[in-house]
Order: sequence, then C-alpha cells, then structure tokens
Amino acid sequence: MYLAEVETRAVQATEVPEVTSCTAKWDSWPASTISHHGQACCEIAREWMLANDFSQLGDAAALTGPRWLPKKYPWGPSPWPMHWCEAVGRKKLDCGAHQAISQELFTARGVQSRPAQFVQQFSEDATRHWGHKWGEDQVPAGWIDGDVIYHEGCAVTVDGDEVKLWDASAGWWIDPQQSGGYGALLNVRIFDPSAEAPQSLSWGGRQLAVNRWNAV
Amino acid sequence: MKIYVSGLYSGGNPQPGVGITRSLRQGYPDATLVGVEYSNRSSGIHWPQLDEVWLQRPWDELNLSAHGDAIRALLDGGALWISGSDLESMWLASVFPEGHANLLTPNAAALARITKPQVEAHEGLPVQIPPYIPTDRSDWDLHAFCRKHDWRVWLKGPYYDAVRTRSWDSFEAVRNALAKVWNTERLFLQSHVTGYEESVMLCAYEGELLGCVRMRKREITEEGKTWAGDVSEVDEAFLTPLRRIIHELNWTGGGELEMVRDADGKLWLLEMNPRFPAWVHGATIAGVNLPALLVEGATGVAAQRPEPGRGEFTRVVVEVPVRSEFPLPPLPEHLGGGAGHSLKHPSGLPALAERLHKLNVLDGGDNESSSGGDAPTVPNTMVEDLLAQDFNRIETPAWVFMESTAVDTFKRAAAMAHTLSTNQTRVTNAYSIKTNPDARLIKLALDSGFMAEGISLLELHKALKVGFRPDQLILNGPGKWWPEGMIPKEQIHAVFCDSAPDLKKTVAALKSGELKAKIVGVRIRTPHIPSRFGIALDTPETFKSLVESIATLPEDTGFGVHFHMASSNIGVKAWWRLFDSMLRWCQSLERLTGRTIEVLDIGGGWFPDDWHNVDHSDFAKAVKRAQAALPNVGQIISEPGKAMAQPTMALAMRVLETQEEDGEITEAVVDASIAELPMYFHYPHRVLTQDRGGDWKTLKRGKSQLMGRLCMEHDVVAANIELPEGTRAGDVLVFCDAGGYDRSMSYVFGRG
Repeated sequence: MYLAEVETRAVQATEVPEVTSCTAKWDSWPASTISHHGQACCEIAREWMLANDFSQLGDAAALTGPRWLPKKYPWGPSPWPMHWCEAVGRKKLDCGAHQAISQELFTARGVQSRPAQFVQQFSEDATRHWGHKWGEDQVPAGWIDGDVIYHEGCAVTVDGDEVKLWDASAGWWIDPQQSGGYGALLNVRIFDPSAEAPQSLSWGGRQLAVNRWNAV
Repeated sequence: MKIYVSGLYSGGNPQPGVGITRSLRQGYPDATLVGVEYSNRSSGIHWPQLDEVWLQRPWDELNLSAHGDAIRALLDGGALWISGSDLESMWLASVFPEGHANLLTPNAAALARITKPQVEAHEGLPVQIPPYIPTDRSDWDLHAFCRKHDWRVWLKGPYYDAVRTRSWDSFEAVRNALAKVWNTERLFLQSHVTGYEESVMLCAYEGELLGCVRMRKREITEEGKTWAGDVSEVDEAFLTPLRRIIHELNWTGGGELEMVRDADGKLWLLEMNPRFPAWVHGATIAGVNLPALLVEGATGVAAQRPEPGRGEFTRVVVEVPVRSEFPLPPLPEHLGGGAGHSLKHPSGLPALAERLHKLNVLDGGDNESSSGGDAPTVPNTMVEDLLAQDFNRIETPAWVFMESTAVDTFKRAAAMAHTLSTNQTRVTNAYSIKTNPDARLIKLALDSGFMAEGISLLELHKALKVGFRPDQLILNGPGKWWPEGMIPKEQIHAVFCDSAPDLKKTVAALKSGELKAKIVGVRIRTPHIPSRFGIALDTPETFKSLVESIATLPEDTGFGVHFHMASSNIGVKAWWRLFDSMLRWCQSLERLTGRTIEVLDIGGGWFPDDWHNVDHSDFAKAVKRAQAALPNVGQIISEPGKAMAQPTMALAMRVLETQEEDGEITEAVVDASIAELPMYFHYPHRVLTQDRGGDWKTLKRGKSQLMGRLCMEHDVVAANIELPEGTRAGDVLVFCDAGGYDRSMSYVFGRG
C-alpha cells in the first residue's frame, strides 16, 4: 500500500452482523453426525479413519486440513442417516459426512473443532446441475435454494477464540477476505453445545456469534 | 520523461519488464517507455505499450564496456533505468559503484547482503531461513543433508533455477547441469518448506521505503510461478523492520521477498530479489502501482493513482502483433535430432554470469579457489584396516574385509541395544543376512548378541551353519518359504507374514505342526508410503480383513508386528514418523483384535552414520513411545540393515589407464566396475588412495571420471573425482562403504 495513504481494508467488525433471510430454510437443520452401530463393523471403520489420518498427517502441523479425506471420498450425494461402516464403504460423501468425519479427525489430533454450517452463493446453472445429480441418486436436495446452497465445514480453533473455517469437501480453508460473487460465503453458523453464555469467535478479524447465523 | 525497462522475457518463467511497462503506462500515460532486451526471441519486445525497443546483442556477444558507456550517457541525459534482471542489476552495480540518480537498481553493497541462501539483510524480519548447505561440502555431507531432510530438498543455482532432487542420482545430474549452465560450483541445497507461498514486493529510493504490498499466490504454474494472487497491505510487524533494513541498505529500485507460510503461520524466507517480480502489474490492478511510485520518488513528478481494485488478479495468455521492425527469427535447427527448442534464457544470461565471474563482479567460475569441496573423513579404524593390507599382493578388483571397523560397528550396536533396554522391554539387534551373507559378519553378529533375520529358508540355514540356534532366528519377507522342505524342525523365534495369503499359509503350517514359532506376526505397510511389502492398510477393506485374519492366529503363539522401511531412501525424520504411524496402527490392532503385541520388529536400510554416529536419544525416546503405546511389548527387535554391513568392506581396484587434457587427468579406467559397485548410483562412496609416503588419503570431488572396465556406457564408478597428481596405471584406489548391498548384490559380468 502507499505508506502515506494506507486505507485499512480489513473488516474490523466489532458488532455481530445482521442475519439475512436466506438462512431461514436451514434454521432448524442440525450439523451432521455419523452414527455408530455399537458393534465391530463401525469400530473398525472409525479406527481406520483415525489411524489413517495419523499416517496421512505425517510431520505436518496438527492444524493442517485433512485434505486426503475428500481426495479419497470425493464430494457427492450421500443417503442419511449414515453409519461409520457405511461411510468408509461409499465412493462419495457429501459435505455433512466430510464435516462430521473431519470433526472427529481434528479432535483425535488434539485440535478443538466445532461443526460449522455455511450458506454460499453460486449460480442457477451450478445449483441446477447439482439438483440433477442428487436427483439421479434419489437423494433429497434440500440444501439447494435458488442460487444459494447450504454447506457444512469445521470451525477449527487456532488460538484462544480465533478460528479458521475448514471446507472439508473442497479441502481448503475459507478465506476470511470475502468479496461476494461465485462461491462466496454469505452466512456462517458455528455450533458449540457447551457454550453457556452468548459467545463469539474471531475469524480473520470478524466476530462470529456461536449457535446462530452470522452474515459475512 | 523517458524510462528504460529491461527484462522483457515473457515465457513460462517471465521477467517483470512487461508488467513494469504496463504499470508505468498507467502511472505516466505520456512518458516514453523504452524496452531493453538482449534477444529478439524475448516476446516482451512486442508489447504494444512500449514506445521504443532498444535491442542489444545477446550477453555473450555484447561489448560490456561500450554498453555501460551507452547507459551512462542515457542516464546523464535524464533517462531512468529500471532493470528486470538480477544479473543485469549486478552488472550495473559494478558499472556504477557510486550509483546514479537515474539508475533505479540496488547498489553493490546491498546486493552482497541479499545473496541467497543466507540473505544476511533479513535480520529483524519475522522470518526464518530454511536449512541449507552449500555444495562445496563433500558428497558425503551433502548426502547426509538430504537424508536428514527426508530428500525433500531443492538444489538451487546461485542466481536462478531451483530443482527438486529426490534421490542421489537426480541430485548428481542436476548439480552437473546447473554447474555447467552457471559456470560455478557454488550451488546450494535447501530444505523444502511445505506451506503457502507469499511475497512482499517493495520499492525504495536511496534508502527510503516508498511502498510495499503483500501478495499470496492463489494459482501457481507447474514451475511454481504465480498465475493469480491476492494483494493486501504489509502488517506493521513486518513493515517496521523492513523499513529499517531498506534504510540500512540504502536500497534503490524494486525488490521482492519470496516466502512460504507454513501451517503454523511461520514465514520462511526463500530469497530476496533485487527487482520487481513478474506479477508487479497484478498489484497495480489491485490499486498499488509500485513502479510508478518508484519513478515518482526518484523524479518528484506525481504519478496518476490507480483505481482501487478488488485486491485480486489473475493472468491470461494474450497474443500480440509482432513489431514489423523485429520480425520473428527462424527456429534453430534441431541439435543432433533432439526435440524442442528451448527458450530458456534467450538473451544468454548464463553467458553474462560467466563474464561477470571473469570480471570478479560475481564469485565463482575460474575465480573459484577449489571446486572439489571438503574431503570426506573416514573413521580411524578404516585407515587401520587399510594399513593392515598388503595391496601389492592383492589381485584386484578385490573385496577388503575391514575387520577392526566391523568389530567396532557390531560392538557399538550391541552397546546401544543394551543401553536402550529397560526392565519392561528388551531391545535386541537382528542381523539382516541379505545385506551381506559373509560368514565372518554372521559370526560377528552371533558373538555380539544379535539374532539372525532371513528372507529365505536358505538364509536361515546359513545362520544355523554359522552357529545360531533356531530360537535366535527370524523369518521374514514375501518369499520366505523358499525353497520348499527346509523349514527348521525346531521352534524358531519369529515369523512375520507379508500378505494375507501368507498369514493364512502360516496359520495352516502352525496348526499342522510343520512350523513352530514363538512369535507370529504381520508386516504392515502404513498408508502414504509406496512399498511392495507388507499388508497394506490404505483401505478400510484390507484393514478389516487384517483384523479378522489376526483372530485366526493360534492363542498359544505370541503376536508381533514388523515394520521395515529404508530410512536412507525416505529420510531419517520420515522414518521416525512412520515409526509413530506404525505404533498408531498397532494400537488399533490391539484394540480391535484383543491380541496384545508382544514383539515389535522394526528396522530397515539405515545409513551407517545415521545409526552409529548420532546421539541415541531419538532411539531411547522411541522405546518409551513404544512402551507407552503398547504396554505389553516385551521385546523390540531392531534391524539396522545395511548400517551393519556397509562399512565393513571396501573394494580395491587398480588404475588401468589415464587420459589427460591440458595436463590434468580427465578420465581413468579402472579394473573394477558397476558390477562390483551396483549401489554407486544411490549414495556416495568415500574413495581413498595411498600417497607416496604410504598414508591413506580420501579423495575430494574433482573433474576426473573413473570409468569401469565394462563395455557399458553407464559403467562410470565416479563421475567427478580429484585424482592425485601423478596418478598412473597400477595405482590402487579403495572404495569404502561397499560392504552392504554393493557386496551382496554384486554380479559376475565381463569375466569370461
């Protein structure tokens, strides 16, 4: 920047922004979780996921996103409810499954992670294509609403109240510098059942209230 | 206002000249912009926003003195000069040692302080320099650096070029190529840092920082070059020391700090370039026009401010018309039927480097005091072993058993196992017979308290013949039951299964009584590492199958897990990571099968120095981690692999013929060959020769090739060695470190 005329561009929001109406459709949706049969089938599957993550991580920092997961199980329609033994056998997993498994992986690494729900802007062309794809697999596509979609990921604690948002299906960290457009994050809701009082987390200079939708 | 801009190459690894031109045109619409180039193959000369093109002959032809005078005249006449080439900037700094008000490039002292890889000037910035080693060190040391950093290393040229070298043979090939291109041996190896690449671009005039931006690469080419990025301001923690450094350097011109941010957020500085980067106009698009700001700082003439942008930019491929005065030159003819016509360095920058070496502007080239680097050291025992030989009576090529070295090696390993053992867990060495089946070494292993590990029944029988008891034997590998009918009648210590069918067969042999073993286990192949051995754990299906198969093992045998990977190939840190990964899988297996793991057999392909010549705290910690993860492990079998055998034999050979050029030996033919040194391509060997006084000396790297006796093109046993003056036919050379797979995998060839 011109040193004499620096304009601060980072969003320095100190107040929680207003929620937009596009989240209404998904207000009652809980974050996804994987079920367990309580038997060896699910125990073996879950152990494989956790041990495999340990191997894949190698010497990388614990905060490294588990990108191997969507590489092995690309994003696609998934029937719900889903058990661990079913999840490992699928060719594709949707964002709910990616989120729920990644949540377990981060936790096993000793990293605090909370389920996060996103609303993202795309285009009618993109959502029409996805609608067809989900339809072909006879899986409901309630996550699509016009040109916006519901998506899930993880809010991973970096330090204290500071979090990063992991898109477990895309295999990348969502950039806090959002400027709208195709793929833009419109809203985010971070779940934290343990939060007793209203609590907020910091994401790239923004404050995000937990357990409620935040406009980005 | 007239501004000369150089560095117009616009290929896959572009120079910044076109970007600087675009930015200057935006800031100064009426300025006369002159593109400077040294090749009409550089496509940037056709960029339509250039008012003029000043095309010079390539650097190998150019009269530097006259060119310097011409530039001085331009600058004296009021023109400005912004260089887009590191080497040109270095040359200009020598032409104008006191600088010139209109020359917008850094001075010589500043350039000296940003020499990579150490970039002295970085002190105070919140960055670290990745570990590196200059290549004037011995090959022995360079190989150790590569192992230490898991072969995740880059071999870098002094000015340009960086190539990832994942193995010793690729390192040697790239070193030869870069040294030839840049006419210097002063290269360096640097550890790879995993992370996201980002840069800080700056401009300054006479030590005053005028502006800077941060750019994160958002799309990169296969060569790692920026294709898209986002631009933002530099934070204060970086800016404050940067401003001080620029002041101290009295910096003038553009500059770029190239960095990697790792997952923990730490910044690693790769290099500091004395010019604007090729993506310079991306920042202008984002609203920060540093070339214009530089000109404004130098002239006081206000530039037009760019429109504030979104902070993001990307590249596209654009075709432009060719200037009529510079028609495209013909493509040169293929050289000897070769493919392609490289456009890399069309202006002859390597030739400029060579000329600057000769002019002492740059270190290197003929000015280098020595190209051989350090001579590697050898243990005293090796010299003692060689002194004990009468080479006049030895017919070469010959394997020399380094007895005192071998005794010392086994003694150290035995002491280490003893030290690492605890009341809870006994650490036992095992000698891998395949690394060298010489009976003297097997006996030494027996006498040093080792067990014997074989990959075939023949190997087990050899161990028995030397004196091992059956309960000291371990059977391993994918073909362990070969040849048929040789399974020992008595109980052996352990068998490890290499596959699911192998496990099934082993269980059947145990149940029928054909096989008796105290421990039966599995060799596991952890995910993410390519290997043909062991039971793969990379799919949930194979893991489930393994869990179910382990349940079929007889309850009256103990259960163990074997893990084996060559640390010399994957690197030392990577091996320890795999060890921890293996422990994690073992915990899962215990939990899911209900079987406790009593024996861990770990090892594989350690380079001797990584095993014997290091602080053993890593090993001690590993034992503790194993005990914590698997409380029932009573024995850890440690297999150092070639770390035991490699130092114990050397290969002696005689010079058959020498060839000289300009009084130096360029080639020598020896009576040994790659048939006796099949591992020559995989790691360096320390070579010794006896001087006229009878002392054994290690040879440095040099310019002579040692060619084997075979009529095979690739039979070169040393590609770059410094033979002592006066070397002649009949002289003996000894290649140490040949007692491992060199010995056991040597083959008979060319002997009639």
